Amino acid sequence: MSEQVHNRMAVVRAERKVSRQALAEAVGVHYQTIGYIERGQYNPSLDLALKVAAFFELPVEALFSLEPFGPLTQEIYGRKAQP
Amino acid sequence: MNSTADKTELTGYDRRMRALMNDPRGRVLHATKGRRRAAVAASVGLTAAAVTLVARMFTYDELWAAFALLPVLLLWCLATGALNSATRGLFELRVRALDERQLLERERARSAAHMMTGALIFGAAVGLWVSTVLGDGHLTRAYVAPLLAGVFVLHWMMPLWIAGLLAQDAPADDSADDGEGPSYG
Repeated sequence: MSEQVHNRMAVVRAERKVSRQALAEAVGVHYQTIGYIERGQYNPSLDLALKVAAFFELPVEALFSLEPFGPLTQEIYGRKAQP
Repeated sequence: MNSTADKTELTGYDRRMRALMNDPRGRVLHATKGRRRAAVAASVGLTAAAVTLVARMFTYDELWAAFALLPVLLLWCLATGALNSATRGLFELRVRALDERQLLERERARSAAHMMTGALIFGAAVGLWVSTVLGDGHLTRAYVAPLLAGVFVLHWMMPLWIAGLLAQDAPADDSADDGEGPSYG
């Protein structure tokens, strides 16, 4: 019924050094729900996805996508930057 | 429903119950699938024993059943507590203390339990009808009260048993204070 929504939450959370508990409290969910979303076991509602994006001050499409995300470095520096 | 604003509406009772249901000290009882299944099996067995003892107590006025009920109820509380902890209070916490994923899990367990109790009630009704047709009615009258009590208890407990069976193992890195995060490429 529901399509897999890919996300970069774990990468961004690790990069910002934010704990699951801190993020969960900020967006009003159980900390396990953050883990479920990161592992792709639960697709968040639009409401929750927007709250997570607002917490990280990123556009929602930077965190969630219907297509799998490529490596972040490739997206930032492009293929030409690779040796 | 699950916004930060709603969380401020939690009462002291809600907060205490949520802390209790998420107490890490209880996790040893339900850390693996095998332990959760054992807790469900124990809860089913103890519930059946308690209902049987209550039925004997009221139907036959047997006093020993009341004394036997006490240890059964104590063990029942322990098994039910383990299941409530395994499900993080899915059926103990109020709606406002659960988030959208937990509410979805609760509805899933309730839906499965509804189908199962429906089938069991149908089976019980057919059994009563057959006993009425084949017997003289005394047997039917004797079984109506215990059957109704059993159906009520099943209706009450089945969602928790289903949720206990559906609960998943917490992954190794699934900790609340996972601030550094795992190593991603």
